[in-house]
Amino acid sequence: MAQVPVQTIHRDPQLFYWILFPITIVMILTGVLRHYATVLMASDPKRVDQKTMREQRALLHGINVRGNHHVLSQSSFVTRRDALIAAYESGAYLKDPENRGQPPPNPMSDPNAMEGMMGMMKNQMATIIPNTLIMSWVNAFFSGYVIMKLPFPLTIKFKSMLQAGVATKDMDPRWMSSISWYFLCIFGLQSVFNFLLGSDNAANQMSQQMTQMGPQAGQMFGPGVDPNKQFLAEAENLAVVEHHSVLDGVEQRLLEGIKV
Amino acid sequence: MSSTERELQISPIVQESLVHNSRTLYNLQSITASLFGVSAGILGLESYPGFLFYLVFSLLTAVLFYVLRVAPTSLAAAGGGGKGKSALLDTSRYFRGPFEFWAGGLMNGLAGFILTWTLFYGLVRA
Repeated sequence: MAQVPVQTIHRDPQLFYWILFPITIVMILTGVLRHYATVLMASDPKRVDQKTMREQRALLHGINVRGNHHVLSQSSFVTRRDALIAAYESGAYLKDPENRGQPPPNPMSDPNAMEGMMGMMKNQMATIIPNTLIMSWVNAFFSGYVIMKLPFPLTIKFKSMLQAGVATKDMDPRWMSSISWYFLCIFGLQSVFNFLLGSDNAANQMSQQMTQMGPQAGQMFGPGVDPNKQFLAEAENLAVVEHHSVLDGVEQRLLEGIKV
Repeated sequence: MSSTERELQISPIVQESLVHNSRTLYNLQSITASLFGVSAGILGLESYPGFLFYLVFSLLTAVLFYVLRVAPTSLAAAGGGGKGKSALLDTSRYFRGPFEFWAGGLMNGLAGFILTWTLFYGLVRA
């Protein structure tokens, strides 16, 4: 098989100082800026009035009793279960008991809900705006330069992605333009941010999207959810728990554990 | 009621500690991956040798981490606890699964490795 000669391209070393380093430094600084912007823009948790808090905590109490029933003895679990079910079904913990059975208000009219959505919007903006700005900056100033060579070969399909703006037909796809260095920075700088800002930073948009996928704790008491229905469902869940304790048969286990 | 569920209730797993352990491991993996990229770039490795370098050294990091941090306490606990299960290379005392510990670094650090590899390869060789 014939050896394909390795392409070499003579490039001005000034390319590194005027293209590579500026893009890298700007990317790192944007990440740091985004981290601190997120920290500063994080809104304080709002004060909740006593009735709302009682409603939420009562529901959590039921869930915790159900989840950890095995640490309670039989009699104390039965007592708690009966008290909670009675309170849930009579609506003792509801914020406004006279509204029972009425449909929940429209979530869009609730000012609290609007605030939550604003927070999400702010986060989205903090990712989208810098990305758009930097990408158009790179495109406007540095398009058409070949700056680097990837250390591993790629198939020809990558050519249009890596060499955007460089219309040279026979060039090896390993040569990459400034815009592809920008993309490489987006994906690979997370470890640098880990090193600079600590591990739970908000600098990288990739990790932010990961966390947004996760379960949201605030969703449970969100607007548009009828607390009365939640209470009734939780009462049903509590009623069907088949109780057993971790201390069941503990004497036997202890005796088995003792080796003479 | 299955026996594993019962086992979990008798000796529960603390979620916070597990998360802390995983985060420590993740930090180590991402920082070492970047450093491996720097060294691979300076050595001028290309294509397969470069990826092989990364594979070997991240596995070596995992082994070192096991030997220095995990093995002393987990082996002692398994030997003294009387459980009878003193398996070597068992990380279940601190981590969720063996896959996360041994192979997680390959995925977590790959992007950082490629970035620094490309950067230093370009600076030194090209």
